Amino acid sequence: MALEIFAYQCKKCGQLHYPYRMVCKKCGKNEHNEFDPVPLPKEGKLLTFTNVYALPPDFNVAKLGLGIVELKNGMRVTGQLKIPHPKIGMEVSAKIEVVRESEYSKNYGMVFYPA
Amino acid sequence: MREVYVVGTGITSFTRLEYPLSEIAAYPAMMALKDAGLSKVDHVYVANMGSARLNHQTGLASAVVDTLSLTPAGAEAIENGPASGASAIKQGFMAVASGLHDVVLVTSAERLREVNNLEDTDFVATLSHPLAEYVYGVTLPSQAAMFARLYMQKYGVTERHLAMVAVKNHDNALLNFFAHLHEKITLEGILDSPEAMTNNPYVSEPLRFYDCCPVSDGGACVILATAEVAKKLKKPMIRLAGVGQATDTHCLHERAEPTDLLAVRGAAAQAFKMAGITPADVDVAELHDAFTILEIVESEEVGFFKKGEGHLALERGETRIGGKIPINTSGGLKAKGHPTGATGVGQAHEIVLQLRGEAEKRQVKDAKIGFTCNFGGFGNNVVCLTFIRED
Amino acid sequence: MSTDVEKILRPIDNPIPPFPPKYMKLASGDEMVIRQVGREDIPDILRYVEPLIHVERDYYDIVAVRLYSELLAYYRYRVQDEYVLVAQIDGELAAVVNGRLLSKEVGMSYHTVALRRGLRVGAHAFAAKMEYHIDIIGQKEVLIVAESPIGFRRWMIEYGLEKRFHMAHELGGVPSWSLTKALFDQARDTLVVGRRPVPPPLLEKAKATILPPSDPPTPPTDLLAATRSLYDSTGTALMSQRWKQERKG
Repeated sequence: MALEIFAYQCKKCGQLHYPYRMVCKKCGKNEHNEFDPVPLPKEGKLLTFTNVYALPPDFNVAKLGLGIVELKNGMRVTGQLKIPHPKIGMEVSAKIEVVRESEYSKNYGMVFYPA
Repeated sequence: MREVYVVGTGITSFTRLEYPLSEIAAYPAMMALKDAGLSKVDHVYVANMGSARLNHQTGLASAVVDTLSLTPAGAEAIENGPASGASAIKQGFMAVASGLHDVVLVTSAERLREVNNLEDTDFVATLSHPLAEYVYGVTLPSQAAMFARLYMQKYGVTERHLAMVAVKNHDNALLNFFAHLHEKITLEGILDSPEAMTNNPYVSEPLRFYDCCPVSDGGACVILATAEVAKKLKKPMIRLAGVGQATDTHCLHERAEPTDLLAVRGAAAQAFKMAGITPADVDVAELHDAFTILEIVESEEVGFFKKGEGHLALERGETRIGGKIPINTSGGLKAKGHPTGATGVGQAHEIVLQLRGEAEKRQVKDAKIGFTCNFGGFGNNVVCLTFIRED
Repeated sequence: MSTDVEKILRPIDNPIPPFPPKYMKLASGDEMVIRQVGREDIPDILRYVEPLIHVERDYYDIVAVRLYSELLAYYRYRVQDEYVLVAQIDGELAAVVNGRLLSKEVGMSYHTVALRRGLRVGAHAFAAKMEYHIDIIGQKEVLIVAESPIGFRRWMIEYGLEKRFHMAHELGGVPSWSLTKALFDQARDTLVVGRRPVPPPLLEKAKATILPPSDPPTPPTDLLAATRSLYDSTGTALMSQRWKQERKG
């Protein structure tokens, strides 16, 4: 099964949201759950990034790459980076992988590699 | 609306405090009651962020009001992340201004050091969006770092500017008895020497160890009252003249212009407008410098300097004690310390001392108007306060 | 007779190369010298380690008690192949690190005690100790444990140590972690600093006397002294805090 991270599109006005919210930020119509899930594109440009060295206990690594990526449809997402020498503006593409494991739970998310 | 005055204030050292959380809230309250010359209040607010998670205690306000033997006064705990302190002051302001209460005690406490620093990192990281940020390992330093990288590229801010903020605030903290870090640092030691990378390693690139605030325990308190009560108490009349609050998107990545802090801009504008002053009127300010970059950016967003020029003002020494607009005379979060929920009240404590002329060696000459900016989450919930001395 | 017994009890140290002294600049701008000391310096150091025995915070007490015994054993020839390095700022004792050789190829790290908090003094001293084992003596690995969570986070996670849990460490018999040469090589650039040779005046000052630390960790003074003193008619709590602060400035 192909894994996806979804954006949520307002059924009234078409506005995309990521992450999910319960009321559309554009048309503001309070109609709960009137959104269509739309898979986020995997390709985009790196907007900003960091390597984190002080991590919460769930991460048993010395450092973790994180970044904000502007996807090709203009949406932005936060994700992990597996890029040796990241540069602002570089082309990246994502795979959906396990980003955090704690006890019995696994969380999937976007992990970006050089395009 | 009735006018609201600060009639008493108190604080603990911001450091590791091996005392029960309710005592950390109670000591500054006792100090403030003594300062004001009061023994009774109508209502108590307690600002705190992590009692349930860090200290295994809920209903903190009930514990504090009883510890102080102030029962049956009403009491509530206020949680608004790292902006809990200023939020609690805002609640106190509304209670007095509305006519509901005449004297309100706003105290605060945080005891982060009860758990280890890994757990504290995780605790503070829970401020971020649970599904779109937290799961990836986003922490507050990492958000500040991603923000800083863009900001530095756009406006020409360098690591040297960030280090200059740290050196300035460490210097100020040396003059503050209650500060967490009494540690002189130099640009040479943290930036220029061959050992600087090891002395001052990256926490989250491009932010280094000395760009981040320490993890502190601590508490602070202010007592708010009506003009009628304040006049009887014979302390300098410090009016809480303006309060402002604004929010922004939960996720950092959703902001249209990622280098703007719109919540700071909005909250500050409200606080100035209510007080009927402009940013240029401010004599002394406490800004939320959990990370050095934030002091520079906030100094622009609140209106002290033009956008993109905060670091130039820093270079010119305008934010030092004795400069045009001294910022973080207490040492700021950077060196005075950051007991999350108590920080906003700690900022107000410093401004009250400054306006009263009681700030000892770090006194800003003739300070009449003070300003605080308390920042919750990564800029998604900001509370600003304006204080004016009336003679 | 007594001489003969002493001959049996007193271990004979294996020859190891001395640690060449180095110096570095701290965040404060001060210069810190790290050098090896001999038996004759131990009584001076013991004097400053002893008060830490009463500091419960961060396991200073356990570490100080053990370090005291290790230093004493070194001084009076009851431990084999031990060495002691000290870090000094302006002559003042800032940190003590020690360890010994388990075999020719394996080292055993004992303790790292910072007498000056902050400024990464302990980190520099620990790194110097690892440098001694691996680069200067030329060992393959060093066995390490941490008593305090701070130590654990710093060493086990920053260096990414390997498990050697089948080997009990001499400190408390707990499972060992190992810093191998390969791991040390990876960490070298970021963790190991220092310049050699030490300028002669700096080194002479350090060697002249080991001065007492000016602000060592102490049992908690009353951290709420200022507030408590409002209710303390003698005011001693506040006064003692003030004195402490004045000494600092």
